[in-house]
Amino acid sequence: MIEATVQANHLSKAFGTKRVIDDLSFEVSPGDVIGVLGKNGAGKTTLLELMLGFTPPTDGGVQVFGHPSVALPGNVKVRVGFVPQQDELLDQLNVAEQLRVIASFYPHWDVDLIARLCSQWGVDPKARIKNLSVGERQKLSILLAFGHKPDLLVLDEPVASLDPLARRQFLEQLVEVSTDGDRAIIFSSHIVSDIERLANRIWILKDGRLNWQGDLDSLKEAIVRLHIRGDAAGIAGMAVPGALSLRREAGFATAVVRDWTRERQRALEDQNAVSVEVEALGLEEIFLELHR
Amino acid sequence: MFVLNPQSGIPIYRQILDQVRRMVASGQLAPGAELPSVRDLAVKHAVNPMTVSKAYSLLEAEGLLERNRGRPMTVASQARNASPLNKRLQQIQPLVEHTVLAAKQLELSEAELVKAVRKNWENGND
Repeated sequence: MIEATVQANHLSKAFGTKRVIDDLSFEVSPGDVIGVLGKNGAGKTTLLELMLGFTPPTDGGVQVFGHPSVALPGNVKVRVGFVPQQDELLDQLNVAEQLRVIASFYPHWDVDLIARLCSQWGVDPKARIKNLSVGERQKLSILLAFGHKPDLLVLDEPVASLDPLARRQFLEQLVEVSTDGDRAIIFSSHIVSDIERLANRIWILKDGRLNWQGDLDSLKEAIVRLHIRGDAAGIAGMAVPGALSLRREAGFATAVVRDWTRERQRALEDQNAVSVEVEALGLEEIFLELHR
Repeated sequence: MFVLNPQSGIPIYRQILDQVRRMVASGQLAPGAELPSVRDLAVKHAVNPMTVSKAYSLLEAEGLLERNRGRPMTVASQARNASPLNKRLQQIQPLVEHTVLAAKQLELSEAELVKAVRKNWENGND
């Protein structure tokens, strides 16, 4: 049996009386690339921090490589890499010194990989960290999490300050990291198109709960927009199962539905004497529809 | 070789499936032709490698592609170049329906639509 990378059971976190993470259960397996989406304040950062053991759960628990996240032994910690939203770089060092400090914690640090990425990404090893731009700091934070080739890579808004070119380079590197299928990547981002490229699984967090967890492909196949035509009585009288939204006009209706299937389409058409055209939706529209 | 649009509502693996099916059906991809490796395709388009390998596996199960030890996947030998005309027409039918519907909504005449199709046909390089 393949060891689960992360396993959460009824994981909850409250700050005061507010439940920021509310009873989440999920599993992350090697090879997964999970995109975490949610509005500001949906609990994304808290969820990532719970997995990394930075904060203890209020109820339930989360295990990383079979160990409770709040008590990870050293040999497990070195299998995890993290890019925080706020970098933790040391301003008094230069880039090479900062890299050496972090490398010294890890026996398997890949010096060649990092040297190659530094030059590809235009990060000057001699530059002083206090003189780096926001984007350069972000690139360096990512390098610091890549160098020990972690089996679990967690990234919290890693690309917010990167220009499109740098983002693309970063995405290509993530693809490289994920090609061997042994590693798992979990990343949160507001840049939906990046998640759409890279993730095979999606978590949509809403008010501390997982509004959707599953394959990106199934999500796109399940949530679609329907354009429905028929006579006025048929349109007015029909019930659309699983509708997230429904707008009726005379002889015409538009609905966004979840759990869509061909069988449901046929049933809707036959029962109401209407014709249905299905429009596939991009992830951004799906996200918006789930937040109506 | 592929035109992939991750932002489309059509999942990426389905875009790959459809494009390979069409190219094999038309004979554009002949039996024995090599496909890009999962890794190359994933890195080139910056998309998830599992998505690419899912598409390849489904095409293998369909009998369109063959897996070769240590070499790229190839178009299966029994995939026969062009499949019969009616089968190829069947594959393009949903796109035709969609286009005709859109044309009617725009109140274009049949002649106007055909003219637009012909213009695209002559300009297209693919």
